[in-house]
Amino acid sequence: MPLLELEDVQARYGPIVALHGVSLTVDEGEVVAILGANGAGKTTTLRAISGMVATSGRIAFAGRPLARASPEGVARLGVAHVPEGRGILTELTVWENLRMGAYMRRGGEVKRDLEQMVDHFPWIEERRNQQAGTLSGGEQQMLALARALVARPKLLMLDEPSLGLAPLIVQELFRVVTRLNEEEGLTVLVVEQNANIALGVSSRAYVLEVGRVAVEGPSEELRTHEGVRRSYLGY
Amino acid sequence: MLPLAFSVSELAQQVVFGLAMGGVYASLALALVLIYRTTRVVNFAQGEMAMFTTFIAWTLTENHGFGFWAAFFVTIGIAFLLGVGVERIVIRPFGHASHLTIILVTIALFVVFNGAAQWIWSPESRAFLGPFSAQPFDVGGIAIARQDLGVIAVTLISVTILWAFFRFTKLGLAMRAAAIGPDQSRLLGVRVPWMYALGWGFAAVLGAVSGMMVAPIVFLSPAMMQAVLIYAFAAAVLGGIESPVGAVVGGLLLGVGTTLLGAYAGVTPELELPIAFVVLVLVLLFRPAGLFGRVIVRRV
Amino acid sequence: MRDAARWVGYAVLLVVIAVLPFLVSDFRASQFALVGVFAIALIGLSILTGYTGQISLGHGGFMAIGAYTTAILSTTYGLNDLLTVPIGGVVAGIVGFLFGFPALRLAGVYLALATFALAVIVPSVAIALGDRAGGTAGIILDLPTSPIGALSPDRWLYYVTWAIAIVLFVVAVLFVRGRRGRALRAIRENELAAVAGGVNLTHYKTLAFGVSAFYAGVAGSLYAILNFIVAPGAFPITLSILLLAGLVIGGAGSFLGVLAGAAFVQFVPLYAGDVMGRVTDAAQAVRLPVGDVDPTTPGVPSVVYGLILLVVLFAAPNGVAGLVRRLRGKLRIF
Repeated sequence: MPLLELEDVQARYGPIVALHGVSLTVDEGEVVAILGANGAGKTTTLRAISGMVATSGRIAFAGRPLARASPEGVARLGVAHVPEGRGILTELTVWENLRMGAYMRRGGEVKRDLEQMVDHFPWIEERRNQQAGTLSGGEQQMLALARALVARPKLLMLDEPSLGLAPLIVQELFRVVTRLNEEEGLTVLVVEQNANIALGVSSRAYVLEVGRVAVEGPSEELRTHEGVRRSYLGY
Repeated sequence: MLPLAFSVSELAQQVVFGLAMGGVYASLALALVLIYRTTRVVNFAQGEMAMFTTFIAWTLTENHGFGFWAAFFVTIGIAFLLGVGVERIVIRPFGHASHLTIILVTIALFVVFNGAAQWIWSPESRAFLGPFSAQPFDVGGIAIARQDLGVIAVTLISVTILWAFFRFTKLGLAMRAAAIGPDQSRLLGVRVPWMYALGWGFAAVLGAVSGMMVAPIVFLSPAMMQAVLIYAFAAAVLGGIESPVGAVVGGLLLGVGTTLLGAYAGVTPELELPIAFVVLVLVLLFRPAGLFGRVIVRRV
Repeated sequence: MRDAARWVGYAVLLVVIAVLPFLVSDFRASQFALVGVFAIALIGLSILTGYTGQISLGHGGFMAIGAYTTAILSTTYGLNDLLTVPIGGVVAGIVGFLFGFPALRLAGVYLALATFALAVIVPSVAIALGDRAGGTAGIILDLPTSPIGALSPDRWLYYVTWAIAIVLFVVAVLFVRGRRGRALRAIRENELAAVAGGVNLTHYKTLAFGVSAFYAGVAGSLYAILNFIVAPGAFPITLSILLLAGLVIGGAGSFLGVLAGAAFVQFVPLYAGDVMGRVTDAAQAVRLPVGDVDPTTPGVPSVVYGLILLVVLFAAPNGVAGLVRRLRGKLRIF
C-alpha cells in the first residue's frame, strides 16, 4: 500500500479550478518529484494534501482518508509540509523555530533530535538566538528543513526549495535530503521548477500541466527522453 | 498653581498611588494588546468583561463567605473560562467577517455584559473590601499606603507570570507562533483556533486582575471599568498597540501623570479623563507609532 | 417599475407621518417625535459610518453638545428655542469636524475607542463647567409652547421635528449624490485604492465627521427641547452605543432603515423589559426553568438589544432595510 495516494483530486480556489483530477502515489522510502511550469498546479497539489484548499476526490495517507482533515490534523498524522517561501516564523528566534518543529512530540528524545539538527546544520549553534527573519534565504530554507525534520515525519513535502537560492546551497540542501532518504528511509515528495536537480534526486516524477498529470514515470527515463524534456521541462 | 513648597513624602505617596492606578491601566491595556496580537481584534468589551468577573468575585466574598484571595483565584479561573467561551461561542462563528462587523460584535458584547451586570447586581456602587490593610507601610520615614504597594505587586506578579508563560513554555511559544504565522503554525500541528481561544482566556484573566485591583479603590459598579478602558486604550496606543512592554509602560506613565496632575495642577477628577484624552490625541497626531511601536495607524 | 413602487412607499410614509399625531395621544405623539429626533441623528451617523465606514461611538456626545448649546442659549440668553437648533447643529458640527483631523490617524477600532472616549468625556466636561452648564443637576428649559392654537405643544413639536427630519434627509440624499457619494463609499471600501483614485481623504473624512456631527447636534437640540431638561446623566455612553446599534439593525442609507433604527432606539429600551417579562412568562408556561423578570429592572433592555444586535450582525448584516431589500428582490421575480 502506498504511503500517499491521490486519486482524481480536484481543487479549487473559489470559482477557479486549479487541479482537474490529479492522481499520484508515493511509496514509503521513495523520493518523488512533481514538476511543471508556473501555475501548473504543483503547489496546489501539496496544499490539497495538507488540507489547505477545498478538494474533491480521494487523498489517502497511510491508508487513512484525508478528505476533511484540517492542516493541523494532517500534520499530526506525520506529514511535514515545508511551504513555498520557507514559511519561517520570522519574529521568532532560530531556536524557537526549531522548537516549534517539535511541537507535536513529547518525551526526552526531542532534546536529542534538536541537538542532532545542530549536527546536520552546525551554523544553528551560533545563531540560536538570532531572529529568524534576519537569516539569509539559504539559511532560512535549511532552518525550515531542519524544523520539519525535528517532527520526525513519515512524509516530507518540500515546495520549491530551490527558489531564490544560490546553486551551491541548493546542492547542499538536496545532498542532505538524499542522505536522509538513503540512511533513514525518509519518504520525500518534492515540488520543483528546477527539473534538472529534481530529477537527479528522485526515483519517480510527475509532470503537471494546467492542473493535470501530463507525464509520469521513472526520473531516469524522463531525464533522457528528449521529447519530454523539450515539451515539458524546458531544456 | 504649583504650591510653593511641596513635601517629598507627599510626592512619593502620589507617585506610588499613580503607579498603582497605572498598574490597573497596564493590566487592561495588556489584555487589549494580547487579543490584538493573537487575533487582530481589539475587544471592545474587555473592560465590561473585567467588571463582570469582578462582580463575581464580589458575590463570592459577599454572599458565599469567601476570603479575598480565595475569591481572587476562583474568579481568575472563571474569567479564563469566560474568555475562552466568548471567543468560541460568539467571535468564532463570525469567522472572516469584515473588521467593521467584528468591532460591532464586541460592542454588542459590551452592551450585553453591561446590561447583565446591571440586571443581576443593580447599577449602584458598592464597596469592595480589598485584601490590603489600611495600615501604611513605613519606607524611610514616608508613610506609603499598603494598598497601593499591594496593587503594584499583584500587577507586577501577574504580568511577570504571563511573560514567563509566553517566553518559556511550549504552549506560550505555540500561541506566539499562531499569532505570527497562523498558516505555517497549522502545518506544524498547532491547533490555531484554540490558540485564539486561549488568548482570549488569558486576556480575560488580565482584565479580572485589573478589575479586582481597582474595585477597592473606586467602588464597584457596572460603570466602573469604562474610564479604565479609555485609559487602557490610551496606554496601549501610547505604547504602540502591538507592544506589551509599551502597554505596561504607557499604563504606568498615564497613572502617574494623571495622579500628579490631579494633585499638583489642580485638575479636578472630572477633568482627568478629558486631559488623558487630549494627550492621546496629541500623541496620535505627532507620534502615531507610540513610544515603542511600529506604525500601526494608517497614514495615507 | 421599481422606482414607482419606491415613490408610492415614500408617499405612504409621508401620509402616515402627517396623520399620526391625530390618531394617538399627546404622550405617544411626543414619543414619536423622539423617533424623529433619533432619525435625524441616524441619518448623520449613516453618512459617517454607512458611507465612509468610520465607526462612531460618539454620537451621543455630539447630541449632548447640541442639547447643551440649546439649553444654555435659551435659558441664559433667552433665545427662542427653535432658533437654537441650527446653532446647536453648527457647534456640534464644528467639534465633529475638528475631531475628524486626529481621526484621520485612526482606523477601525481605534476610531471607535476614540469616539467612545469622546462620548464619555462630553458629560464630564459639562459637569466640570459647573454652574454655567448646570452642573450635575443640569439645566431646565422652559416648557414648550405651540404657536398654533389647534395643536398641542407635543403635536407641534412632533411636526417641527419631522419636518426637519424630512428636509435633512433630502439634504443628505443630495449630499451623497454623484461624485461625493462615490468618493465617500470608495473610502469605506478601500482607503488606499480611494487615494490612488484621487480621493482627497482629509477633505472627505473630516467633512463626513462634521456633517454627521451637525446632524447629531440638531437632533440633540431638538431632544433638549422635547424633554425640556438637559443633564449629563441623559447622555451616557449607552446612548451612543444604542444609536450605532440602531443603525446596524435598521440598516444604513435608506429612509426605511433610518426609520426602523430610530424606532428601535426609542422603543426598545422602553419595552424590552416588558418583552422579556412576557418571554419568561411564556417560557415558564411551558415549564422551562426560567426565573421571573421584573420588566423595570435596569439592564434588561441592554441585554435584549445587545443580543438582538448579535443576531442581526450574524444573520442580517444589512439590517432590517437590507432584509426588506432582499425580500423585495425575491418578490420581483414574480
